[in-house]
Formats: sequence, C-alpha cells, structure tokens
Amino acid sequence: MASRQLQTLYKDLQRAFDARPTDLKKCGILLAQLKISLVETGLLLPNGDASLNDMVIARDILEIGAFWSIRAKDVPAFDRYFSQLHTFYTDYSLPPSKREFPLRGLNLIRLLIQNRIADFHTTLESLPLPADEINLNPYIRHPVNLERWLMEGSYSKVWNAREEAPAEEYKFFVDSLMGTIRNEIASCEEVAYESLPIKDVATLLFFSSQSELLKYAQERGWQVDLSAGLIRFARKNDEQMEIPKQKLIAANLAYARELEQIV
Amino acid sequence: MASTDTKPPKPEEKKDEERKLTPTAEIKINIAFIERAVAELEPRFTHRVLRSLTALRKRTNDKVLRDAIEENYPAESTVKAKLLSWLPPATEAEMDIDSTVQPESTLPPKPTFDPVPEVEIYLRLLIIHYFHTSKENYAKSIQLSSETVDKMLALNRRSMDPIAAKIWFAVERSYELGGELADARPLFLAAQRTAALRHDDDTQASLINRLLRSYLHYNLYDQADKLVSKTTFPISASSPQFARYHYFLGRIKAVQLNYTTAHTNLQAAIRRAPPAKTAPGFYQAVHKLFVVVELLMGDIPDRSIFRHPVLEKALAAYFDIVKVIQLSAVRTGSLSEFQATLTKHATQFEADKTYTLIVRLRQNVIKTGIRRLSLSYSRISLRDICLKLHLDSEEDAEYIVGKAIRDGVIDGRIIHEKGWMECEGRKNGYGPDVSEVYMRRISYCMDLHNQSVKAMRYPLDAHRKELAAAEGARERERELAKEIQEGDLDEDDDGLGGF
Repeated sequence: MASRQLQTLYKDLQRAFDARPTDLKKCGILLAQLKISLVETGLLLPNGDASLNDMVIARDILEIGAFWSIRAKDVPAFDRYFSQLHTFYTDYSLPPSKREFPLRGLNLIRLLIQNRIADFHTTLESLPLPADEINLNPYIRHPVNLERWLMEGSYSKVWNAREEAPAEEYKFFVDSLMGTIRNEIASCEEVAYESLPIKDVATLLFFSSQSELLKYAQERGWQVDLSAGLIRFARKNDEQMEIPKQKLIAANLAYARELEQIV
Repeated sequence: MASTDTKPPKPEEKKDEERKLTPTAEIKINIAFIERAVAELEPRFTHRVLRSLTALRKRTNDKVLRDAIEENYPAESTVKAKLLSWLPPATEAEMDIDSTVQPESTLPPKPTFDPVPEVEIYLRLLIIHYFHTSKENYAKSIQLSSETVDKMLALNRRSMDPIAAKIWFAVERSYELGGELADARPLFLAAQRTAALRHDDDTQASLINRLLRSYLHYNLYDQADKLVSKTTFPISASSPQFARYHYFLGRIKAVQLNYTTAHTNLQAAIRRAPPAKTAPGFYQAVHKLFVVVELLMGDIPDRSIFRHPVLEKALAAYFDIVKVIQLSAVRTGSLSEFQATLTKHATQFEADKTYTLIVRLRQNVIKTGIRRLSLSYSRISLRDICLKLHLDSEEDAEYIVGKAIRDGVIDGRIIHEKGWMECEGRKNGYGPDVSEVYMRRISYCMDLHNQSVKAMRYPLDAHRKELAAAEGARERERELAKEIQEGDLDEDDDGLGGF
C-alpha cells in the first residue's frame, strides 16, 4: 500500500496540474518530492510485487511529470520521464491510460526534431498498434504525417500543419520543428539555386520580415546583394577532383601481392 | 568407452543403406557416431548426425523412440527409465511382442554401459521434436526442454555443444508453440552469457538468433539492435545460423533506414541460405524483404526473382508494387495507383511485417519519378512536374525538386525566376570512385578466396601418413638413383668394354 504521504502529495499534484493556468513551479517541487517517495515505496522501478492500484498511481505521476516537463520546456526531463513510463506501458498489464498515446506521439515528434530518424522508425515499429491503425490514431498520425512530408520534401505541408496539433503540448515542439525544416530548406536551396531574389527566399523559408531573413543569411554565410535584391549561394562542389595517386599505387601493389600468393 | 569397438559404418556404405534403414536403426547409427565424436574429440561426426535431424524428425513416433531407448540403454539404467517416463506407455499388444521377441533374438546385444550423456541429450532432442507434432504435448515439451536445459548446463561438456545448439532451437519452438515466446527470453539471455564465457560458439550463435527472433517477433527493434551491438556473432558458426543472423540484421537495418547495410546483409542471407527447395519458407521471407529494400534503395529488383517457382506465388503482391513503381513517371497517376495497390495487399504486408517499410516507398515513387524526368528532359517546368507526379501544388514541387537535388538523386538546378528545372548531362563515368568500386569488388573476391582456403579441412594426423609416404618415396628415389648410378657404371663398363 502506498504510504499516506504519497497519497496526499499525489492529490496535491493533481490539483496543481489541473488548475488553469497550471502552476508549473509548484508542480516541479511536488514532482521532486513525489519521486523521492516513489523510490522509497519501490514504485519508481517496480519489481512486480506492487499492487495494481499503486502502479496506476505511479504511472499517473510520471505521466503528469512528462507533460509538466514539456510545458516547462525541459526536453531532457521529458526523455527521462518517458523512458521510465515505458516499462509501465509495455511490461505490465495495467488498465490503459488515456494519456499513453499523446505521450507516445510527443516522443515521436521529439525524435523527429532531433533528426533521429532511425530511432523514430524503430519506435514506430514497436508501437502496440497494428500498422493500418496508425492512420486512425490522431496522436500518432500527426508525427507520422510530419515525417512523411519531411522525407518527401513537402515542407509547405509541414508548415501548414503546425496549427493542427492534436494536443496542447504538441505546440511546444512547433517552434523547434520550424527551425529544423528551415535548416533543411536552406541546405536544399544552397545546392539547388545559384541565386534567388530576397523576397522569394523569405517566402520559401517562411520568414515574415526581411531583417529576420538577413540575420539568418548571415548565420549561414550567404552573400546578400541588397542593391540587386539577390542572395547568392556559394557553390561548394566545383573543386577540381584530384587523382589519389598514393591510394591507387598502394591498391595495385596489394593486388599484385595477392595474385602472387594465389599463383 | 562402450562404443569404441562398435565402429560405425563408413559414410559411403551408410548412404546406400540409409534408404532401407528403419528410423530406429538410424538412431542407433547416429548414436554410434556421437560416441565416436566424443571419443575422438571430433565434432564433425556430431554435425553429421545433426544434419540428418530434419529428415529423421519426420519419421519418428513414440514407438520408434521407445525402441531406440530400449536398445541403447542397459535394462536397469536410471537414465532409460527417466527417458521412457516422458513417452506414453506402450500399448498391451506392443508390450507382448517386445517381451516375447526380445529374449529369443539375442541379435542386438544389450549394452551393459550407459552411453555417453551426449546420447541422452540427443534422445531428449528427438523426444522434444516429437512432442512438437501434436498439440496436447506442447506443455510437456516445455517441461522437458527446461529440464534438459538444466541438465545440459549441469553437465557442461564441450563435446555436447553442437547438440546443445539444436536443443536451444527446440526450446524456442516449444515455448513458441506453447504461446509464451517472451517467457523464454530470460532463459536465453542467461544461457547466452554462459555460452559466451565458455567460448561455446555453436550455442552462442544459436542463442543470439533465438534472442533476435524473439525480439523481432515482438517488434522490439531497439533491444534487438542493442543486442547486436553488444555481442559478436561467432565466425565459426554454421551457414544456416549465419543466414538467419544476416536476415535479422537486414530487418533491423531496414527499419533504421540503413538500406545499404540491410541490402548487403540480406544478400549474404540469401547466399548462405539452404537451397530454395529444402527451406522454401526462409527463402521466401528473405526475398520479400530483399525486394522491398531494393525498391527503397531506388533499384528495380531483377524480374527473374518473381518467376522463380518457389517465390512466384509468395511475391505476387510485391510484384504488383514493383510494377507500379516502374510505371511511375511513365504514366500519370502512379501515386494514387500505388496507394490502391497498398490497400489491396495490406493484410499480406501486415502479416509479413513489411507494411511500414512499403509505406515508406511512397517517397520513392516520387523520387524515381523525378529521376526519370531529369533523364528525359533537359529542361522542364515545375508546373509540368507537378502535373506528372500528381503533387498537390507547384510550391511543393519546388521543395521536392530542391530536396532531390540536395540528396543527390538528380543533377540539376532550379531557375526560380523562370519556374523551371534545368538538368545537367550525365557525369562521365571515370574518376576516383571507379577505382573505389573496383577495389571493393576485388577485395570481395580476395576475401572469398582466402575464406575458402581457410575453410579447407585437414584430418588430424593425416600428414603423418603423407610424411611416411614421402619418406618411402625418398627412399625409393635414393635406391633408384643408386641403381642408375650403378647401372650407368655398368653401362659405361659395357660401353667401354664394347668400345
């Protein structure tokens, strides 16, 4: 049985979390205390002998913690909470939580933003959903679509979808997502164009003001020609190719030696 | 040892006999082989026994097994009693025959020793496989396999390793049929650690594959990947184990979008796999994945694969996808067609666990389309691209083409002001990358050659005979030389005399 202290703290946390606007600071303090008492009762990493009820409480606390860390814009904390939750979702047959899929979706978006595409796909494969239901679950569908558009290069669709987040917390990631796609587009433009009018660059990169664009251009080292209203991209791949003499000689000698051995 | 005097027949003789042999007799021969393997520390004989396992398995039943146990163990053996306790008791009629025939015919002499423990484990293996044939025995097979595993670990004999590897396979099968594959995982993990410590390569290879299979069965790609990175697959493992391992690796890598590695692994799996006719299931499974990975890499798989008698039916759905992709950019509306094909075969892809991979092909349809366009036009407007590939807007087309250029799918550039894409001619095929490709191929051939040299087998002490023979030859040569010398002298004498 969970200790009385844990119960009261849990109630406090629920109240603090459900209050609008959420008292982030208070939640943080409560969560820290709760985690200590979870460790004391052996529920943080349950060994299988905890009662079902206690585990549901522990899961609730961790779920609130995960949401809280996103609202507090603390991505590493989210990472920790989510990996702790993972055991609760996969290893125990607890009654399903309605927060499970929103959190899984958030985790997918996080992987997408950090450009961990391989992890994104392994996580997607291990979802407890049949493959054709992925498109029916709004929380999962959103990151899956984002990934598809990013891979195709339909960046404008990603841009347009930024307001269609299925849950409040998804919006937190929108800004960093925009940063990711902006970098993607910029790297495409550097290769695909020789020069572009400033106005068009701004629309392509979804900048609303020219000053923002100029700052960004400076970061990426583009040549801005204000008088002609053009941005020029330096070409990188026009270097003269050199013949790697040393390598070729070494390779040929190696072939000769091997041939000698065989014959 | 009880067996060293009963020499097993030579392999040539055995081959002819094999067709006539009853399963019981075959088991007896196999047991003799195992004993010899143990006595001479030569795992080759055990491997030979295990090779016939699949064929033998289909011919065993409880009577065969009971007879085999009766014949090979002395009457009062405790091991025998234990083994027999797993099998259903003989029916009355059989009992009668046994009791009347046995004392009269003294032909099969009753062994007086217990055979080596390897034999017991081998018989247990056969019993487990026999249990797998009927549903009501699944629970018993789990029980027996866990008991066998305990026994194996307690005995800890190196000569048992090849059989142990097979036992682990049987254990997995028991748990899978019993519907609790996940429960076997801790058992495998513990055993894998022990096997690694004991340098037990056969068992280790078998166990790594068991674990990977168990992970992939539950879609735990993360854990599977970690297992692969934390373990080294023993080089001396047998080909079928390697084939399985490569297949699992291929699957993990494909999910992680590392298609090139996946492709190499799957190719290795295909090469190492047993012939298509003997193991059609594996052959089909590998090819299914192989086709998808090849498509994901932007290649079109060889048509002859789809006409292969073993693969034709299994790959029909995949062939549809290939056709759609090949038609993209040639015909309009390929994207919607792709979607239609996907939904049509969804259940099969789902069962093959390739659905999510095939969904990824969507972007390949676009990529292949753009590549074809760039090859056939030197200049094409973004609007036309948009129409031909059924994209939603010109804006999208511009981004997509830009990405294709960056990813190196096409060589070209976008002229934004005029709204078209200009494609540069093909690069000439000479450069440092040519020598690199050449290098890669040569080193593959070299490796193959060196591996085959290493794989040659030399029987123990065989060189002694050769040495003796060489010694004899030298002796003869010396004699010959001496004779020649003498003869020469004689001849010379004759000649001189004659002269």
